[in-house]
Amino acid sequence: MKRLFILMLPILLLSCSASISSSFTSQYKPLTIDDKVAFLDLLHKVPEGAKKLGEAKYGDSGFSTSCDFNTNLISARKLARANGANIVKVVKKSTPDLWSSCYRITVEFYFYEGDVSKLPQYQLQIN
Amino acid sequence: MKKTIFAYLLSSSLLLSSCATIVSGSKQNVKFSSNPSSATIFIDEVEVGKTPFELKLARNSEHDVQIKLDGYQTYQTTLTKKFNAWYIGNIAFGGLIGLIVDPITGAIYNLSPNEINAQMNKGTVFNSTKKGIYIAVALEIDPKWNKVGQLEKVSN
Repeated sequence: MKRLFILMLPILLLSCSASISSSFTSQYKPLTIDDKVAFLDLLHKVPEGAKKLGEAKYGDSGFSTSCDFNTNLISARKLARANGANIVKVVKKSTPDLWSSCYRITVEFYFYEGDVSKLPQYQLQIN
Repeated sequence: MKKTIFAYLLSSSLLLSSCATIVSGSKQNVKFSSNPSSATIFIDEVEVGKTPFELKLARNSEHDVQIKLDGYQTYQTTLTKKFNAWYIGNIAFGGLIGLIVDPITGAIYNLSPNEINAQMNKGTVFNSTKKGIYIAVALEIDPKWNKVGQLEKVSN
């Protein structure tokens, strides 16, 4: 039994990404890597005229290890680009605690016609 | 006293029984160089420095790399996670705790490649602005392109 557990453990632990659930009500043309995507944290405001395209929740799968705030945002940016959104707005953020070592966040995706690089925004940190 | 001994034993077992974490650490040194040098390196779209450059990156996630230099095509690659063989050492030395700690610290992975030497391809200049037309200048023609116009020298 112990051997089986030891053999199974690495397989379980290899699924280390955060659990993601997303939904989009509308999709725009996918953005390229050259199109900027802005991260708006809790305190940053979504600019007027931005259209909401969808949202996503990043949680703890139970075996998540790469689930810090920046990693979740990088993942959200990929999702945003694929669906044509250029703003990732954090609307809910739970910091790691006794029950989970993950950042659990809810983000909304928006498309904004203006220049998103000029918006007050969160600057991504490299781990 | 008992609590101190317990805490000492627990922390010792956590710290000393994770093979990959001890040998490799949770971060990995990655070297960046390019030909020509002085190209700007972006990790996950964040500017980190100019080539040649060395940087410690977390092992527990993959990283997108872009190396940009005016007049050259942007070099793009991804640092991917590969299994770190030191993790197997846990079975011999670390036991259960090592099997858990190494994935948490990210030491179960090696980032690959650990050295990037970007050979920048000459021939493309690309400047873009949201408000204006942007033009890419390429010295080699891609067969998939359609010719839509011709630039002409303006005479004064």
